[in-house]
Amino acid sequence: MTEERREGRGSGGTSTARRLLGNLGGALLFPVFAILISFVIGAVIILATGNNPVAAYAALVNGAFGNPAAIGRTLINTTPLVFTGLAVAFAFRAGLFNIGGEGQVYIGALTAAWLGVSLGFLGPLAIPIVLAACVLTGFLWGAIPGVLKAYFGAHEVITTIMLNFIAIDLTVWLALNPLRSKGLIPGTADIDAAARIPLLGLGLGRANFGIFIALLAAVVAYLLLWRTRRGFQIRAVGLSPGAANYAGIGIGVNTILALAIGGAFAGLGGGVEVMGIYGKMAIPFVSNLGFNGIGVALLGRNHPVGVVLGALLFGALASGAQQMQFDTNVPLDLTSVLLAIILLFVTATKILEFVLGKRARELAAGTRLEKGLGS
Amino acid sequence: MDLNELGLILASTIRNATPLIFAALGGMFSERSGVVNIGLEGLMIIGAFAGVVGAFFSGSAVIGLATAVAAGLIFALIHAVMCITFEADQIISGTAINLLALGGTGFLMVVIFGSGGTSPKVESFKPIAIPGLSDIPLIGQAFFNQSILVYLMYLLVPVTLFVVFRTPFGLRLRATGEVPEAVDTAGVSVTRMRYYGVALSGILASFGGVYLSMSLLSAFTEGMTNGRGFIALAALVFGRWNPLGAAGAALLFGFAQAITFRVPQDVIPNEFVHMLPYILTIVVLAGFGGRAIAPAAIGKPYRKE
Repeated sequence: MTEERREGRGSGGTSTARRLLGNLGGALLFPVFAILISFVIGAVIILATGNNPVAAYAALVNGAFGNPAAIGRTLINTTPLVFTGLAVAFAFRAGLFNIGGEGQVYIGALTAAWLGVSLGFLGPLAIPIVLAACVLTGFLWGAIPGVLKAYFGAHEVITTIMLNFIAIDLTVWLALNPLRSKGLIPGTADIDAAARIPLLGLGLGRANFGIFIALLAAVVAYLLLWRTRRGFQIRAVGLSPGAANYAGIGIGVNTILALAIGGAFAGLGGGVEVMGIYGKMAIPFVSNLGFNGIGVALLGRNHPVGVVLGALLFGALASGAQQMQFDTNVPLDLTSVLLAIILLFVTATKILEFVLGKRARELAAGTRLEKGLGS
Repeated sequence: MDLNELGLILASTIRNATPLIFAALGGMFSERSGVVNIGLEGLMIIGAFAGVVGAFFSGSAVIGLATAVAAGLIFALIHAVMCITFEADQIISGTAINLLALGGTGFLMVVIFGSGGTSPKVESFKPIAIPGLSDIPLIGQAFFNQSILVYLMYLLVPVTLFVVFRTPFGLRLRATGEVPEAVDTAGVSVTRMRYYGVALSGILASFGGVYLSMSLLSAFTEGMTNGRGFIALAALVFGRWNPLGAAGAALLFGFAQAITFRVPQDVIPNEFVHMLPYILTIVVLAGFGGRAIAPAAIGKPYRKE
């Protein structure tokens, strides 16, 4: 527990800056280690398939940042991952594991697809209204596992996994039945172009102002967690439920709020995808945003700034993969393998402990939950 | 509904439930030892893929199965090394296993077969009618004209029940998941018991995967497990971490799948039938109709004092 107390201490005033600087080395150690090891293993895999790792990685970087179109694709891939990363990170700060990002994205996306069409006549005015509705539906859907945990003791890992499938089934049914358009592509009708999130232009392709909404969401997450009484309570519950309870902080209400606010971020992410990129909810809808959000959050040590950086890395890998496959015959699935390896190593504190001794464990604060599933 | 159709539904129930039972029983060994395994989905797909690769190069379904078991074991051991030895977070390691298996099989499809999508056809385990038994009206064809893997599953359920509740190994396994300190005090290695549990989950989940790719079909298709690993996880929880309970839950979920396409879409939409296992799991986890309680030490790395 000592390392977690370190993390929680000195959360206000000038000490914040000093603490951030002091902990920077520790904060970067595990993610950088995990990223390095994954790229080394990746290079071995590329060699084994008879390709040149340097050429493959160069193509990867080129495909992610090489030209405005590539940068645009990277921004498009990064945007939803910021939201789903925040969804995981926010709940994690309360000591909760939100595996439900996937379902929450679907709920938000359906909300946007439905309201976007109905309110399309409002033009740009529809955008804030629809996105606010996505925040609300994501919040309510996210609150379900919170209530199940707070009042019925059902563990959130299992319930959020189950709720993913329920959300997907529910939204697919809605999109294919009551809300189905007459068009050839199965799914909802197109949202009026005037009611969509505007494109950034600058040769960035379909990249849109959604990325700024994502950055704003990260700022909001930071302010909520570190600058409000409620955020303090949520973090207190995450650091030590017993002590929080003793101090009169309600565990139940903060559990529900942490999961619900996490859900609100993911719901907004689904809405931004629909209002910014797709203009409708086509079935099958994009997938794995929620699961990749877990990796993003962990890599970013569950801090909003880290989440943005983690999302950028994941987003860049996703867009660089196409170029890599095109230029070097290395299958684009390699990037999933790289992400999986990063995920495997980012919480394996003991590996570095062998190298650095006990200090490594202290540096690992914020990357793991020291509690079981049984409680 | 006539008797013939009922027989078809029963046969379909068995076919749907078989991969779930393999994976759920595998998950039970892991979770009973105290290691959460949400990587069942990944372990299944690795089994499905490796089985087809083994059968493709050897021309033998049995060698395919052996390859699958070896691959499932290796992937399970990655989870074990990460969670048990390196004390990585078990949920995250499980998520990584799923991602690694899904991405890895997609990657290897291109490397081995030249393109993604579906592999070439391979030798598979064909249905074997058991003389006499398969002639019983209604249930004969459903239960006794199935592939060898289904018969293995029939054996596996009672064997698992016996091993877990009637052998010293089972007692140690359960104790490791409940009170690892006591197991340690008794001179049994917690680490070793957990390695056994996780290893068994990989072996059994790969059987489930092989059933999909080399019995229901005779080829591997990317993403073919399609969430079955998570349904198996649901069956495990719904069955309260008990072999009989998990098998019963898997049969119920298999039945739900079997009737999905027989219920008219305008009466109950497929999507709602599909939701059923997940809703039921939440209901029992929330304590309606008798609480489902996980092993006490599940999810916690064990450190010797």
